[in-house]
Parts: sequence; C-alpha cells; structure tokens
Amino acid sequence: MTDVSLAVVLPLLGAFVLPLTRHGILRSLGPVIGPILLAACALILFAAWSAYDVPYAVALGSFAPPMGITFYIDDLALLFALAVPLTTLVLWPGESDPAATGRQSLTLLLAGSLTGLALSGDLFNVYVFYELAAVASYGLVVGDGRSPAYVAAFRYLMISALGSVVGLIGIAIIYFKTGTLNLADLSTLSGELADPQGLAAFAMLVIGFGVKAEAFPVNGWVPEVYGAVGKRVAALLAGLASKLAVLVIVRILILVFPHDETRQLLLVLGILGVAVGELAAWQARDIPRMLAWSSIGQLGVVFVAFSLPGKAGVIAGVTVAMHHLVVKSALFLLADRWDRAIESLKGAASTSRIGAALFVLFSLSLLGLPPLPGFWSKFLVLGGLAASASPLQLLAMGTILAGTVIEGAYLLRVVVTFYARPDAAVRVPGQRAGNLLGAGLFALVLLTAAVMINPLWQGLEVLAERAVDTNGYQHTVLGDREAGR
Amino acid sequence: MSTSVGLVFFIGAIGLCVIGIAGIVLSRHLFRMVLALAIAEAGANLLLILAGYRWDAVAPIFTGTAGGQAMVDPVPQAMVLTAIVIGVGVQALALSLVIRIKERYGTLDMQEARQCMQDDLDDAGGVTPSRSRERPAGERPIPAPTVLNSTGGQHD
Amino acid sequence: MRNLATLLFLGGLVFLLAAITGTLPFGHPPMLVGQAIQQAAKPEVGAANVVTAVVLGYRGLDTLGELAILFAAATAGGLVLGGVQAKGRNNALPAAGFVQRAGTDVLFPLLLIAGLYVVIHGHLTPGGGFQGGVILAAAFFLPLLARPSESLSHIWLSVIEGLAGTAFIALGLGALYNGDAFLTPLFDKGMFGELVSSGSLPLLYLAVGLKVGAELSSLLMRLAHDDGAAS
Repeated sequence: MTDVSLAVVLPLLGAFVLPLTRHGILRSLGPVIGPILLAACALILFAAWSAYDVPYAVALGSFAPPMGITFYIDDLALLFALAVPLTTLVLWPGESDPAATGRQSLTLLLAGSLTGLALSGDLFNVYVFYELAAVASYGLVVGDGRSPAYVAAFRYLMISALGSVVGLIGIAIIYFKTGTLNLADLSTLSGELADPQGLAAFAMLVIGFGVKAEAFPVNGWVPEVYGAVGKRVAALLAGLASKLAVLVIVRILILVFPHDETRQLLLVLGILGVAVGELAAWQARDIPRMLAWSSIGQLGVVFVAFSLPGKAGVIAGVTVAMHHLVVKSALFLLADRWDRAIESLKGAASTSRIGAALFVLFSLSLLGLPPLPGFWSKFLVLGGLAASASPLQLLAMGTILAGTVIEGAYLLRVVVTFYARPDAAVRVPGQRAGNLLGAGLFALVLLTAAVMINPLWQGLEVLAERAVDTNGYQHTVLGDREAGR
Repeated sequence: MSTSVGLVFFIGAIGLCVIGIAGIVLSRHLFRMVLALAIAEAGANLLLILAGYRWDAVAPIFTGTAGGQAMVDPVPQAMVLTAIVIGVGVQALALSLVIRIKERYGTLDMQEARQCMQDDLDDAGGVTPSRSRERPAGERPIPAPTVLNSTGGQHD
Repeated sequence: MRNLATLLFLGGLVFLLAAITGTLPFGHPPMLVGQAIQQAAKPEVGAANVVTAVVLGYRGLDTLGELAILFAAATAGGLVLGGVQAKGRNNALPAAGFVQRAGTDVLFPLLLIAGLYVVIHGHLTPGGGFQGGVILAAAFFLPLLARPSESLSHIWLSVIEGLAGTAFIALGLGALYNGDAFLTPLFDKGMFGELVSSGSLPLLYLAVGLKVGAELSSLLMRLAHDDGAAS
C-alpha cells in the first residue's frame, strides 16, 4: 500500500539524477532514465488500480493524520494519477540537443508534481506540488530559446506568482480560522468556513490554483504561451496540467466548501470562460492561438460541469475533463508542424492525409457529434444544467450551446481549408511520424471510449459516488475521531 | 495594548501585500514588477507567520530549562520556510528572464516587449498583423525625398 | 489622473483585505495541529527544535517538494542564461581591489564554518539546511566577486547537487525497505538535545544544505558570468 507514493517520488528522483548523466560514464543512461521511470510509475499505478477495492489513505512518514501528510487514494485520484505518466510518456520531449537533459528533468518534475496533486490530501502539500508544477512549466516554456518565449514566460510567471501570493493569503486565512491543514480535518470543520471570510478564502484559492486551470480572471497568459512555445509542451500544459489544477479546486470545493455560493462562483467563472474563449477562438487567425482560446472555452465548460451539485456534477465534470485531455493534447500534437496561419495551410490534407483525418475526428468529437465521447460529455453537462433550471444555469446552458455553434464555425473552417485545393506557391509542411503516432494513440483511446460507453458509465457512477462521500473521506483518513477535539 | 500591537502587525502584512499586488498589476517596468513580487511575497509570508503567534509564548524549541511554557505554533513557521524558498526560486528565474528579454528585445517596458513578441509570433506564423505599423512593411525603404532644382523641374 | 487611479486601486485593495482579515483571531489561534505536534514531537521525532521536526518529519514531503522547486528554478535559470561559459571569457574582468581580496580571504573560511554550523545544528537550534545552504552559497560567491577569473567548476557543483538530492530521496526510500511509509525517520533517536540525535534528521538537513548551497552557487555564477551571450 505504500507503493503509491513511489509514483510521486520516482520522477523527482529521476529529475535529480538526470544532470549527473551529462558527465562521462553515465552518458548513455541519460535519454532512457525518464521514459523508464515514467513507465515504472504507470505500472505502479496500474498495480494499485487492480488491487484497489475501497478508498484508502497512506500516511507519509508514518505520522498519524492530521499531524502528518496523507495521500488519499480513491477512484478519482487513481484515474487522474494514471493519466499523468501515460500522457507524459506520449508527449515526452525526444530531442537530443545539449539542453535536452534540462528539459527532461523539468518534464519529470512536472509529471511527479501532477501525480502528487492527484493523490495528496493536505492543503499546503497541494500548494507546494502546484508551485512545483508551475516552476517546471516556466522552465519548459522557455526551453526552446526562441525570443517570444521569454516574454511569454515572464508574463506567465508574473500572473502565476500573483495568483500564488493570493492563494497563500487564502491558506493563511484558513489556517487562522481552523488551525489545521489536512483536507479531511478541514472537511469536519467546514461549518466554520461557511461565513463570508471563508468564502473569500475560497475565492482566493480559486485565483491561486485557477492560473493553471485557465480560469477567468487569470488566463491572460494562455494565448501568448501556447503560441510561443513548442506544441508538445503546449499539449502537456493545456491537456494535462490544467486538468489536475481543476481537480484540486474541485476536491477543495467538495470537501471543505460544499456551499451554494462557492458553486455559483465556479458557474460564473465557467460561463465567462466559455463566452470569451469561443468568441476569441473564432477571431483567431492562426492555429496555435485558435487552439489556445478554444482550450479556455472548454475549461469553462469543465468549470460549469463541476459546479453542478452532487454526483451529477462530478460525472459530468470528469467526462468533459478527460475528453478534453485526450482531444486537446492530440490537436496540439497535430499543430506542431502546422503552427501557422490558417490560410497558409490550404490543401494540407494532400500533404498529410492521416493528419488531416485525425484533425477531423478530434474536431467532430469536440463539437459533440454522436457516438463520439464528446457528445456524451456535452450531453451530461447540458442535462445536469437543465435539471435544476435556475436562471444562472439556463444562462450557462445557452452559452454552452452558442459556444458549440461558434466552435463548429471555426473548426469546420479549418477543415475546409485543409481539404481545399493546395496553393501552388505555398508549401505546407508534412507531419512528423512521432506526432502522428501520438495523435493516433489518442485517437485510439477516443474510439475505445466511444465503443465502451456502458462499462465506462458504470465505473464513473462508482467514482462519483465515492468522490462526493465526504463522511467516508473523513472516516478513512481520520479513523473514528470525526468530531473536533 | 495587545490589540494595538496586533493591529500594527496586520497593517504591516496587508500593506506589504497591497503594495506588491498593486506593483505587479500596475507597473510597466519589468524589473519593478519583480521587486513588487518580492514585496508581495514578503507580505503573504508575514500574514502566514502571524497565524501561529500566541501572546506570551516562546519559540518552539525545547531548551534545557524545565519546559511547560506555551510555545508558538511551529506549523506556520515550517510553511513560511517552504514559501520563502519557493519565492527565492521564482524571483531568481524572473530575473534571468528579465536579463534575456533586455538582451533580445532591447527594452524593459512590458508593453513594448509584448508588442515585439506579438510581431515575432505573427511573423513566424505567417499571419498578417491586424494593426497598421508605423514603419513601412517589409524591407522596402522609405523613398528618398524628391529634390527640386533651381529651374523648377524635378530630379531625384 | 493616473496617480488618482492608482491611489483608488490601492485604497480599494487595502479596504478589501482589511475587511477580510480584520476579524481573524490574532494571538489566540485555534492550534489544532500545532498543539498535537508540540506534544508528540519529543517522543516521536526526538528533535529539540520542533520546527525542524515539522519540516523534516511531519511535513517531510513538503520539504522534498521545496527542494525540487529550487532545483527546477535553477535548471530553468540555466536554460535561460545559456550553458557553461567558455573559460576564456572571464579574463575580461579584472580582479578586485586589495581590500576586497583580503577581506574575502579572511571571510571565506569563517562563512564556511558558519554555514556548516547552521546546517548541522538544525535540529537543536534555529537554522537548518536551507538557511545554512544560503550562507554556504554566499561563502562561495565572495571569491567570485574578488577574483572573477577563477570560478568554481560547474561540473563539480552539479555533481554535488545531484548526489545530495539523491541522498535525500534515498534516506526517504530507506524507510520503505523497513516496511514503513516513505520518509519515516530512520535510525535511533539518541539522547535528546545532543548533536547526534533525532535519527536521520541531521543527515537529511546535511543533504539539503549541500544541495541548496551548490544550486545557489551555480545560479549566482551563471548570473555573474552572463555577458549577454547571443544564443
């Protein structure tokens, strides 16, 4: 049972060891350490999944909670934790220039910290892992050495650091009021945090963790960074890191702040995200920025989904989030060679048939064409919104539907450009085999999910039930002492 | 007496946070943004340390003298230790970025640097910029002014 | 006009933060976890400095994350500032004056001792790996200022950094071998208040101190040697 914490520690160990492999004897080991460790993490998590029966907690350092840090393992945590090493393996930076060891170290640190975010059950530990993911991503954004990347990285750093300062103030307020940092302990004290002060602390935490989740006030960095950086790194950030940040916010919401006002805050942020994201994506004239704004829009849908109360919210949110992870990572992989203005990609389909076909597949899933999984994810969100029908939720429903129409407009515009007759003067680059392979793997996952809807649905039901069971969480982590001291 | 001392601490922490946040948001100079970040982080750390303070309590170290005295909370101190180190790392990275931006784009003004970045991204992507530029497009030089000779004709 | 807007923004922020934090119980914190840790620190961890017991024991994973953050920042800084500079470039900078050179020669061993003292006594008195590591980095930075042409070897610094980080994780993994969870303190707790006490905590802090010192020295050297290399 203690093995699960290895999934967090092994990538960190790999990152520390990698710079040693630049010198002399260990040079041949260098390129393989990362993928081997990530594969080991994936195996450990698979083993944990197959041995998994009911949620359990791991007390790190053998110190009893709430004094020590605990990891909480349930379906939701395992799902997201498993997604991390697998996605990182597919998106692994394979170059071998002199700066490659640095980039690989940073990718390993990103993977380790994201796994930690999925598993951790302590508020400050979540903050530390979030900061690790943030600093690793600053380094990855800089990685290629192109000039615009430096300015984009600086702006991203400033917005993210500002968010972290605000988040730290929020953590200070929570600690002032309750005296504990363990999420299970805070969950028993959630009544004390229901006053305006506590809600302000939650809003501060959303600003803090929302930077990576591309939440509304703090997402100004997104189009610049995804435009300036290599697209494999953009896939890691947009596809993987943002989902884990949303997971953290949702865990805190469900466990510590399960009130209507906090859900409304998420709903409002989601509506703003969808509206701004889809409209700006329609205006964008090159592929990377179009995908960046579209990602903001989709994460808005994720926020709206998780703002629904109860099991329905978790099921809808997890479906949309996982779907977006697969689709957006694949789209960014395809955009690696096609990162230019849309008009200059006329006739791309004749240069790379598979690439264009995959693009069409992912676009259709994003739009929500049945029987692709995208249809189910949108259906769950809209169904949940229609069920409770308050004015704000009707507004959300309308925004998402309008957003889908706009999505259709800009995605199909790109597809039409791809399949048009190629311009003789402009040469469209073909796709790289590695990227096509990665996108193909994602397509395989997508189609498998489309076929196996029923077993997936049952699994999701169980996942959601355990995720919203706060009493069960408290009992598992804290044993039988549930009331305050 | 005790409430006024507490008030001073709080005013200090909030003041530092506000100066820092305002500096980051309102400033145009890259280096001043980094300094404002340092100040804001100091304010947040101070606020966090205040969460553990108890009146008439000593530092949380077991000295040889027979204990029994109340100690301040050690957990916020550990948290702030971590937060300070995180802040140092981020500030060092920010400074390295400022040095590189100055060297690549020659400016330390945020607006100018962002404009240069957008221009570079537009050029790389082959997107025609949406705004008109003051200087002539491409490599076309400004045409030399035509000179009138004394007879009133033109030759250039 | 701009100044007025700035003042309004500042005033609004102050009001907002003051309203939110005004009613917090300063001086009488609830101390749920703090109380429990203070009672359990002596028997469970055996360190006289309770903050060290928290940093390396109860919240050891946070410390590992913090080490990783510093490492990530140093690696990213290395990526930004370019690789190791060619040896010949530093000869452009002349050596500093007599006072600085002599002062550095006097201060360097003193700073080393002070840094190592702070690192090793982290479990007994205020201090520890991070604080001592910064003093060590300052100790290695002074000769760089006095004699810019002689610099430390980047290779040795990164080797020390890597080995120290690996040692920290290895000490944590050693507990798994015993069947406990990751980062359980190893070894016997020894006599309370002695230098050799509280199990593996001084070793952990030694690893932290060496890693932080090497990392910050390397970062400072890169910042100092950056000549605006057009890369």
